[in-house]
Amino acid sequence: MVAETNQGLTRVREIYQDGPRRVKELQAQGNKIFGYLCIYPVLEFLTALDLVPYRIFGDMREPITRADNFMPTVVCPFLRSCLDLGLKGRYEFLDGIVTTHICDVGASLHSSWDYAVRTPFAYHIDTPHTVHETSREHHRGLLDGFKKALESYTGKEITPERLREAIKVHNRQRALMRELYDLRKLDPPLVSGGETIQVAKALMSLPVEEGNKLLEEVISEVREREDGPQKKSARLLVWGSILDDTALTEMIEDLDANIVMDDTCVGSRAYFSDVELTDDPIDGLAHHYLVDIKCPRTFRAGDFNATTKDYMADLESRFSYLADYARDWKVDGVILESVRYCDTHGYEVPQLRDYFNSIGLPSIYLEHDYTEGALAPLRTRAQGFLEIIG
Amino acid sequence: MYFAGIDLGSTMTKVVIIGEDEQVCASIIRHTGAEHRRLANKVMEEALEQAGLPIDEISYLIATGYGRINVPFADRQVTELTCHARGVASFFPGVSLAIDIGGQDAKGLKVRDGKLIDFVMSDKCAAGTGRFLEVLSATLGLRLEDLGDISLKSRNRVSISSTCTIFARQEVVNHLSDGVPLEDIVAGLHSAIASRVASMVRRLKVEPDVVFTGGVAKNIGVVKALEENLGCQVLIPEEPLLSGAIGAALLGKELTLKALAEGEPIQRGKRRLEEATFFK
Repeated sequence: MVAETNQGLTRVREIYQDGPRRVKELQAQGNKIFGYLCIYPVLEFLTALDLVPYRIFGDMREPITRADNFMPTVVCPFLRSCLDLGLKGRYEFLDGIVTTHICDVGASLHSSWDYAVRTPFAYHIDTPHTVHETSREHHRGLLDGFKKALESYTGKEITPERLREAIKVHNRQRALMRELYDLRKLDPPLVSGGETIQVAKALMSLPVEEGNKLLEEVISEVREREDGPQKKSARLLVWGSILDDTALTEMIEDLDANIVMDDTCVGSRAYFSDVELTDDPIDGLAHHYLVDIKCPRTFRAGDFNATTKDYMADLESRFSYLADYARDWKVDGVILESVRYCDTHGYEVPQLRDYFNSIGLPSIYLEHDYTEGALAPLRTRAQGFLEIIG
Repeated sequence: MYFAGIDLGSTMTKVVIIGEDEQVCASIIRHTGAEHRRLANKVMEEALEQAGLPIDEISYLIATGYGRINVPFADRQVTELTCHARGVASFFPGVSLAIDIGGQDAKGLKVRDGKLIDFVMSDKCAAGTGRFLEVLSATLGLRLEDLGDISLKSRNRVSISSTCTIFARQEVVNHLSDGVPLEDIVAGLHSAIASRVASMVRRLKVEPDVVFTGGVAKNIGVVKALEENLGCQVLIPEEPLLSGAIGAALLGKELTLKALAEGEPIQRGKRRLEEATFFK
């Protein structure tokens, strides 16, 4: 019975376990597959040209060996893993790759990839790290360059009409994903944190329209399901760096807690704001991909022009959306997680903890190595945290 | 009613059985070993024998420690963080900071009114743990249990600059070849482990009472070095290895009495006194 009622989730799990299978089928039918790293490349451009966007992930179950020739071992193990898989041929099928300036390590990954993996088309968007007016203008200019490069590669034009259509389809995916997240507001939630990662990862491995159909199917069956997560003592929010494997999430959910909300990039960060349909659609895209996506790789002070700095007001303007999440999803505690050596997320942690303390929400910081084997000590920390808040 | 706590540490397995009056009826300390984890039942049987009780007489049994998931007969698993805090508070009700240095990790526990409120842990490497001393006592050709007394004879402690076990071993070998007296090297090692743990627990704010538990608390040299580093007196329980198991037994009593008072059933496990298998 379960197999019949959970067809959408079963398909999600299949794609989660073997991401490239579907896009390789599409490739055999003549489609071009474009890999992208992180959530900052403007996917609507790809969709408008019928290029299939395929997100590049690492593999925490594969030891990093070959990437050590290119990157120091004391940098982000996720990005090292991505490059390692590229060097080992895991992404050989890609027709193109698009990266952005996630951080300095992400930028260096692009150079190494271009030099040693040699995907036929490679483009790097030097996305700014602040949201000043000048940054936004600069970002708009960078997107014009990206558009031209894609047009010259495909020999096709990205017309405003095509782009608007693409924005609508992507916005539809964002809205559907938020609908799925709404089902986590229930107690117990209808979808687990682990399943949500699987859904997001599956969507990032499919053409967007195909993903939307799958997501509609998942939502309708999840609404009816009776085999969802059990009620637990604590409802948790997980904030942090990329979780592209369910191991950490499932380890936490095996304890007396449900993860009901996240602020991560294989999760809400990619879906929680829409692209505005502006007169020139590229303006809306430039704004969305720089300002609306809330990842610590972009610095957003409360007020750039303020002459006196108020720490708590600054925290409030940067992190109040997390208080909204906590309220709407009835969160009892927050797990801040980061891969080791991620300065981008690590530097955010002390201020985030100050903020959560100020609103009376307990939190714990877990740093992990992006390996499956090193999770046991984290279980003790997570369980200890649950015992404190329980 | 009787309550049992079993603490499967990475190095030592401890079992304590207490009565309703919180008096200890049995306490056992054994090496965990490679296969011992699968034989928690044997240690439990030994404790039951010592107490003269069948397992059915135990009202509640809590497993704690790294191996807590490998105790099929436990009613509940609770982390060693919570259990240590509870156990330490039973010996020293005024405890504010508990430091536990075990075989493979070091923990700092912030305790208020007998309850755990925050913690820090180091378990990534052997630095600042009992394993550090185990490895280096072998290098020095000394027995682990003699290190404390030997270090007290030191007049000119050497500085061990690395807390990494591998690099510290190289330093020790260098000092030995330079003819440095053993007691000065041992005192240097104690100082290295104490300064590493002290800097970790300072994140929790050091206020009296500070209590030190775990196997390493049996080493008087580390105790002195820790006091010197933290600048305050450090209290040691009579048997520093048992605080986790005692805490687990006490928590079992609390949970049982709470359930009885609220008229709720006591959630017991399956109570099969058998070894844990890795295949469910």
